[in-house]
Amino acid sequence: MSDFLEIMLDKFTFKVATDRFYSTEGVWVKEEQGRARIGLSDFIQQRSGDVAFADIRPAGTALTAGEDVANIETIKVNITYTCPVNGKIMEVNPAMSDAPEAINQDPYGAGWLAVMEISDWDAERVRLLDPQAYFEIMKGQAEEETKKS
Amino acid sequence: MMEKNQKVIIVPCSGIGKPYGTVSREAAYDVTDELLPGQTQLVPLALLVLGDEESRAVVAGYPAITIDGCKLACAAKMVQQSGGTVAQEIAVLDVYRCHKDLKPLGIAELNEGGQKLAHVLAEEVSSMVDGIISGKKGGKNA
Repeated sequence: MSDFLEIMLDKFTFKVATDRFYSTEGVWVKEEQGRARIGLSDFIQQRSGDVAFADIRPAGTALTAGEDVANIETIKVNITYTCPVNGKIMEVNPAMSDAPEAINQDPYGAGWLAVMEISDWDAERVRLLDPQAYFEIMKGQAEEETKKS
Repeated sequence: MMEKNQKVIIVPCSGIGKPYGTVSREAAYDVTDELLPGQTQLVPLALLVLGDEESRAVVAGYPAITIDGCKLACAAKMVQQSGGTVAQEIAVLDVYRCHKDLKPLGIAELNEGGQKLAHVLAEEVSSMVDGIISGKKGGKNA
């Protein structure tokens, strides 16, 4: 069970799971015995809206950090997210093809996007944000969004 | 006067700002004006929110199908809060997921994809209406 950093803005509560790391654009990375599970943060899923389709690069695809890994179409926007680590996609969440709303329902759990094989977690880790650092960035983004609405 | 279950109430989303709300309303008009005008009645969500007595009485008296544009499901919630029975609920997104080629764009005026999606949704709702009236729930998303 994950613990969370939380902020409430207007009527929305945004959570950042503390048991993983993040890219600045809000893709989380959780190390699991030499592999990295990736997904989207709670703030990203709330800001983007209900997910209609999630196209993830297929298993077997080798990616360099910064390359496109997922295209998410929601009722509001169509966004491409970049891969936060170097590695090879080993598994794509099967829910993404028939029930991508899992991203909205459980962004840190059942809504994961893919599992990647990585060769050196310590090297990957240094380019990622810890939960507190991402929380601060997310808080700034969320406050900006709140001002717009 | 019609007996219960000879008429089904259709309550669409009243959201503004995104095409999915527009699709829900276009589909509702299609059902109530074109496909099954004699068996359905459109009730505006806004009147339920307002607490309009006549609208509350109508939804309390007949089964309703709600068409929601997003996960907030305002139409389904308002029918329940107004004392009505949601016989079936359907979300625009669920139908769109089955018809990825019909991406809805535009709000005041839907693009061709949105109009086609609204018609597909209307046919789905009509199938639900038939099912309710015949006593068997219909619709692929039912």
